[in-house]
Amino acid sequence: MKIIPRGVALVAIAAIAFWIWTILFPAPEKIIRRRLDDVAQNVSFQANENPIAIAMKSEKLATFFSTNVEVNLDIPERAQHSIVGRAEIIQAAAGAHMQVKTLDVKFLDPEIAVSPDKQSATVSLVVSAKSSGETDPIVQPMKFYFQKIGRDWLITRAETLRALT
Amino acid sequence: MVFDYGHRIQTQSDKSNSSATLRAFLWGRNWRITLIRAAVWVGICFLIFKVLLVHIEVIGISMLPTYKEHSKNWINRLAYVWHEPQRGDIVGIRLVPENSGVVNQLIVRFKTPPHFLLLKRIVGLPGETVAFSRGRILINGKVLKEPYETLNCDWNIGPITLGADEYFVVGDNRTMPEQDHTKGHCKRSQIIGKVLL
Repeated sequence: MKIIPRGVALVAIAAIAFWIWTILFPAPEKIIRRRLDDVAQNVSFQANENPIAIAMKSEKLATFFSTNVEVNLDIPERAQHSIVGRAEIIQAAAGAHMQVKTLDVKFLDPEIAVSPDKQSATVSLVVSAKSSGETDPIVQPMKFYFQKIGRDWLITRAETLRALT
Repeated sequence: MVFDYGHRIQTQSDKSNSSATLRAFLWGRNWRITLIRAAVWVGICFLIFKVLLVHIEVIGISMLPTYKEHSKNWINRLAYVWHEPQRGDIVGIRLVPENSGVVNQLIVRFKTPPHFLLLKRIVGLPGETVAFSRGRILINGKVLKEPYETLNCDWNIGPITLGADEYFVVGDNRTMPEQDHTKGHCKRSQIIGKVLL
């Protein structure tokens, strides 16, 4: 009669062990999702944020990218430029602070494809960016290329996508 | 029953009757059945409003005059279960194409709806050649009649041959320069459904 409670206990232990395993060794998709959330959080800023915090956020933002990162932006009627390297990422972030009071960036609907060797991944997603004074957000599909460098998943390349070809 | 100066005084049995009526009104005769009924209704509402229909708000002017900016609507995700998209249909299109690794197209179509969609009209079907000549759409060289198109257009776009799984979509407002209007061909898997209203 003790088989059922023992079985239930065994299943519960297995479930807890699996849960701990996923926390200690998360899947690449989960890590990439978390990194994208962190990038969005560090790109976004509020009007009342102090300059030191903003500078720290810009510095932290650069750490999500590889040293030779290349970001190609081609948004019709809005922006068309390339950013190469971490230093230019920091500059671009500082430039955004100068141009708008607030910026709320979200990475939505990510489609993550991890390579079979789990050393690289591509992420197609929709970027929603809403700045102060604009009623509607700018919506732009983008593709991010991640690579596992050391223990970190870093963005090596990012480019805008066209929804319709 | 006691009467006092012509006013009806509520007795204990009247009180219990009215509370029973209130209880019956709120919970029904059997609270278990009422609970099951409520759960079924919640399930049906969830299925309709979270899975089958996608609530949208139109942002931008590319679908004028058919749909005004900030108008509300629904995308019917059941529209293309039994037949494929037709010419003239206004459809919701995913901005990001699905990864090719997905096994079942039906799962792709009914998975969590995206936060942003493109709202466009289908003018070209798979395998057709689409072109614009002085604002008129040519399908395989023949002019497409568009009764919904009331605004002036002067676009000239060279012939584009669509693949076996591709649709050519464009907005109804073609008054702006051609390069400022989002249009082109999309894959079938990007089309999530047809506009309901």
